[in-house]
Amino acid sequence: MDAITIEALSKTFKGKRGRSVEALQGLQLSIPPGEVFGFLGPNGAGKSTTIKILMGLIRATGGQASIMGIPVSSHTARRNVGYLPENPSFYDYLTAEEYLNFTGKMFGMTGPMLHERSQAMLHRLDLWEARQRPIRTYSKGMTQRLGLAQALLHDPQVYILDEPMSGLDPIGRALVKEIILELKAAGKCVFFSTHITSDAEAICDRVGIILQGRLQCVERVETIMTPDAELSPGDSAQQSLEKFFLEIVRKGSH
Amino acid sequence: MHHLILITWKGLLRDRILQGILVATGIFLFIPSVSVLSMRQVGELAITLSLSLTSFILLLIAIFCGGTALWKDIDRHSIYSVLGLPISRTNYLLGKFFGIAGFLLLISLVLGLLASATIWYVSLTDPPARPILWTNILMALTFDCLKYIMVVAVSFLFSTVSTSFFLPIFGTITLFLGGNVTQEVYDYLQTPAGAALPALTKQIALFLYYLLPNFAVFDLKANAVYSIPLPANGILLPLAYSLAYCGLLLSAAAMLFTRRELH
Repeated sequence: MDAITIEALSKTFKGKRGRSVEALQGLQLSIPPGEVFGFLGPNGAGKSTTIKILMGLIRATGGQASIMGIPVSSHTARRNVGYLPENPSFYDYLTAEEYLNFTGKMFGMTGPMLHERSQAMLHRLDLWEARQRPIRTYSKGMTQRLGLAQALLHDPQVYILDEPMSGLDPIGRALVKEIILELKAAGKCVFFSTHITSDAEAICDRVGIILQGRLQCVERVETIMTPDAELSPGDSAQQSLEKFFLEIVRKGSH
Repeated sequence: MHHLILITWKGLLRDRILQGILVATGIFLFIPSVSVLSMRQVGELAITLSLSLTSFILLLIAIFCGGTALWKDIDRHSIYSVLGLPISRTNYLLGKFFGIAGFLLLISLVLGLLASATIWYVSLTDPPARPILWTNILMALTFDCLKYIMVVAVSFLFSTVSTSFFLPIFGTITLFLGGNVTQEVYDYLQTPAGAALPALTKQIALFLYYLLPNFAVFDLKANAVYSIPLPANGILLPLAYSLAYCGLLLSAAAMLFTRRELH
């Protein structure tokens, strides 16, 4: 069973004056357990729309999606998911310790197990010293790291991360990459959106490039990085994901 | 859901609104001095002022906490994190609602104790002509609390369809004002002058009477102030009414909120 299955997913937003915007068109994707999948695309391409549908925040106009076989329309699908929203925001009157305690309990964690996991995450994400400060006093990077801590807390099978490196300094980005690689080694599925190709290049097994709501291609990173690859969309051999991405965007825009 | 109720409580207790309430309760200290100005009805005025102050503070909490609870979560984007947890939208909504309702109960209890202490003190310095019926005062406070829990339910219904705090706050205030006069309008319709009104006007007035909340049924202030015995159905009926009305409002709110797209 695939960790994430997306079948013919489409989303149309109703705009002003009766105009409609097709944010997603027939998206087809499946991601097995143990894979790190990078979802690439320029701003407004449909990355966040896809993630919001997967998390049940918005409803698809057509098609269906499931996580570990459970349709995303059911809140029980989220039991297997660690979710990091784009530019995360939490109840800022709570401390990080209190928020992790709340999150853990919502996932059914209790007692010493919750306490141990919570402490481990605070140490892992370098929030231990600030754990008893209200979240409202946190910097953007600290809030982002807290977002990762709450996503990792219940050790789910699937991770859906919307721009996980956003707002982080180089040390924070290196930490996130390290964590994602640890998750891959543990057989977890990580689906994350980004437009930083170097990050995707370093940690992804496969990448999908979306443009104007349409999935342009899904390819293994090692294939893209291989010189003289047949799949290379450019005239010359591609050795960088950035070049591949830009070529796809250029072709898709015409 | 109870974890969300507790988190909502924490938020309210740490909110600046609580500091405002603490300042407002200082007004209780002035009630004995102001009551003396009435000369003959010192006790009655003390009860009236104490219950009115309690009611006013509860109204402010109901409108501002109820009207901004969902809006704050949506505006500050914290709703994405919470709804990313395995919780249905209905449970999220009910968790927030019961958190605020519980907070109202707690504040009612504290204000009730302050009001009772004030009334007791005034009754010592100026013994009232009628005996004070403490049960009536307790029931008046309880029904006031029930009324404001209904106000919170109204504000939640508005919040589920609104993208700003204007509709939840001003819509709730409008409905609160309307809900306080529906009974008077209904009673007027039963008089000869009311019967002479055009049929369409009467139909509209009757429609609004049944649609809008009837807050007059929760008003037991006269019973508390003048020690009038409470009618048996005057207690059970409003209780059943508030439960049914809140149930309907929350069901509608849950239905609308479940369908809402959170961009």
